[in-house]
Parts: sequence; C-alpha cells; structure tokens
Amino acid sequence: MLHTGTAAPEFELKDHLGRTVKLSDFKGKRVVLWFYPKADTPG
Amino acid sequence: MLGISFDTQAENKAFADKFDYDFPLLCDTERTVGIAYQAAEHPKDKYAKRYTYVIGADGKIEQAIDTKDPAGQATELIKSF
Repeated sequence: MLHTGTAAPEFELKDHLGRTVKLSDFKGKRVVLWFYPKADTPG
Repeated sequence: MLGISFDTQAENKAFADKFDYDFPLLCDTERTVGIAYQAAEHPKDKYAKRYTYVIGADGKIEQAIDTKDPAGQATELIKSF
C-alpha cells in the first residue's frame, strides 16, 4: 500500500447518489478514504 | 470520510441506505483509484483490499491501515475521526 508521507493521488468518481466527488474538494481538510471489498458483505 | 469500492451506484446506494451511512460511497467501477492507491492490482480485480488511508490537510498520506478486523478497526477509526 502507499506509504505515509506520499502525496495522495487525485481522483474524481461518482458516489452512490451520482454526485461527482474529487479528492481536491477536500483540500485543507483531513479525509479518511476507506476501501471495502463489496457493498454489504461480512468479512 | 469517503467509502470506496468497485460496486455500482445501485449496489452502493443499497449499502448506504441499509446502514444509514451519511458519507459518500464512491463507485470505482474501473478500479483506477483502487490501483492508484494499491487496493487493487488489476482492472479486473473483483474486490478492493481493505485498506484505509487517512489523508492529511496537506494532501499527503498521514496513516495507511491494512484493516484486518473490519468490524473493529474501521469502526474505531470512523468514531475517532
């Protein structure tokens, strides 16, 4: 995985409501980016 | 807080509705962001790895967490944020 101190890659994606979300929308704020394998599955 | 997976908008919408998530669930159906963040190795990977990144206000990775205990660790992180 990416190491701490690395510049976080910019991205632009649609969210679950069809809104466009860019990492740069959160400039100056802390962001938690949580990758999960599959919507609504345990383990 | 941003969730991200390789699911479609409809799948993520159902997920968000079920758990009352009030943060965006991003649909990385092409795996481009997953690959950029090393949560996937190939565009055809079925699932993202359980990686959680905390990105600082300076745009740099502040914490990189390989989540082994999804129910515990991710929840703790979300609460602390």
